[in-house]
Amino acid sequence: MPIVLEGVSKRFAPNGWSAAGLPLPVRQAGGRQGQAASDLEAVQEVSLTIEDGEFVCLLGPSGCGKSTLVHLIAGLETPTAGRVLVDDQPVTGPGTDRVVVFQEAALFPWLTVLGNVEFGLRMAGLPAPERQARALEFIRLVHLGRFALAYPHQLSGGMKQRVAIARALVMHPKILLMDEPFSALDAQTRALLQRELLELWQRLKITVFFVTHNVREATVMADRVFEISARPGQIKHRYAITLPRPRSEHDPRLIAIQQRVLGSLEEEIAKVVKESMDAEYPMAPRGPVVPADRNLGSHI
Amino acid sequence: MPAASAVFRIVGQNLSDPAFLAAMGGSLRRMAVGYAIVVVIGIGAGLLLGRYRLLDEAFGVLAVALHAMPAAAWVPLAIALFGLGETTILFTIVLGATGIVMVGTSAGIRSVPPLTLWAGRTMGAHGVKQFWHVIVPAATPRIVDGLRLAWAFGWRALMAGELLVASVRGMGQLIHAVAKSRQIPDLIALMVIIAAIGIAVDGLVFARLERTVRVRWETA
Ligand SMILES: Nc1ncnc2c1ncn2[C@@H]1O[C@H](COP(=O)(O)OP(=O)(O)OP(=O)(O)O)[C@@H](O)[C@H]1O
Ligand SMILES: [Mg+2]
Repeated sequence: MPIVLEGVSKRFAPNGWSAAGLPLPVRQAGGRQGQAASDLEAVQEVSLTIEDGEFVCLLGPSGCGKSTLVHLIAGLETPTAGRVLVDDQPVTGPGTDRVVVFQEAALFPWLTVLGNVEFGLRMAGLPAPERQARALEFIRLVHLGRFALAYPHQLSGGMKQRVAIARALVMHPKILLMDEPFSALDAQTRALLQRELLELWQRLKITVFFVTHNVREATVMADRVFEISARPGQIKHRYAITLPRPRSEHDPRLIAIQQRVLGSLEEEIAKVVKESMDAEYPMAPRGPVVPADRNLGSHI
Repeated sequence: MPAASAVFRIVGQNLSDPAFLAAMGGSLRRMAVGYAIVVVIGIGAGLLLGRYRLLDEAFGVLAVALHAMPAAAWVPLAIALFGLGETTILFTIVLGATGIVMVGTSAGIRSVPPLTLWAGRTMGAHGVKQFWHVIVPAATPRIVDGLRLAWAFGWRALMAGELLVASVRGMGQLIHAVAKSRQIPDLIALMVIIAAIGIAVDGLVFARLERTVRVRWETA
């Protein structure tokens, strides 16, 4: 199922958004959306095509509209301009063919790990024994077999994220949308899940759209890396990575690609830092700007 | 003021007096029946108000008004409608405690975090399924808050009803009788028992329930 974005823009009204970048539960009184000059443009004229079975990573500084793009493809947000097509059909709402792993785990606190993972199968009407067997298989896959009957409040942040991944994979979606799914994990678990995700992607022939701010993660996994600019988010660079998998971190070709991506990304991060400093200290004299996320380099 | 020791001696005597225990049993049974009706009507109506905006616009104000009205104010109307009997007291409990359950339930339904709804929708929870499998469970903490307050409101309403409908056997009737005889220690002993029952049920049932729900929902 190719994903096609044609000149997609998304503006948010200045009111009605929360710190987590999610809409507040207040309903707007039907004002003209996307018109006022004070509106915030999160994504600007993004056009891209993701082919069937491709593994695409989206890379960019914080607040540049990565989550917004994920939500647009998922059908949870509607673009203010442009079109989102999946399999040549315009996206009109969420569907179980495009499952999302959200930036925050977003588990259901009233269900156990098993209950959370089998939730989608239950909604699809699968009989209990079958869906539990399938759910347990994916719970073991993310190494939480011992916690199948635990509640989310008894899990660590990384464990919750693993449940969220299992909950998405168990649906056998054709498209998997992942919004920084591994950012809360320790290095070992992250590497492990990266390998497992790649294996599943190859085995299940799914299309993966994977948001990350980690250059190493993007280059180790992706067929293509899209780099998005500081807000308003636009695709700034596209890199195709044709190195065979599994990719070694020490492969000089990979390191060369990483250096290139990192250089360009740091420019964007510096822009974000400068913009926020201008907003906070408009009068302050300023030396050269140090990217806030310098330690990105240490991932290599 | 009577000495605490005198009051507690009377409390002890009361609790071993079969006539008192019968009155207490009567009050508790009435409360149980009334509370059950409150739970069913309060949650049922609250779910409807939370789900259907139109209903809420039409009747939401009534729920709030119901919740703002002191239970004792319903007793005269109840007596006029149902006479001096059980039904009057049940009516008072129901009107005194249902409003808070309705308000809590409908507010809970309408304040489900958007991310929770989104997560459900991407996994195929729409419409009725979304309502029962996502929205209602997500609203549970607010519903439990309402149920806990309704217990306290209902207990007060019960006493108000029993005091004014003194022909029904219960603790309100005892207060009525003791007050006439001006035995202050006896009166205070009764009040201590009434307060203690209210606190005990709140602490043993509702505080625990609320704590479980809080821990699970808010730290997830
Ligand atoms: N519902 C909303 N209403 C208003 N503004 C929003 C909303 N959601 C996001 N935004 C704004 O849009 C911009 C992009 O947000 P988004 O969450 O897509 O960024 P991001 O690239 O995912 O950032 P991060 O890497 O920190 O997760 C931000 O400036 C954010 O404040
Ligand atoms: Mg994000």
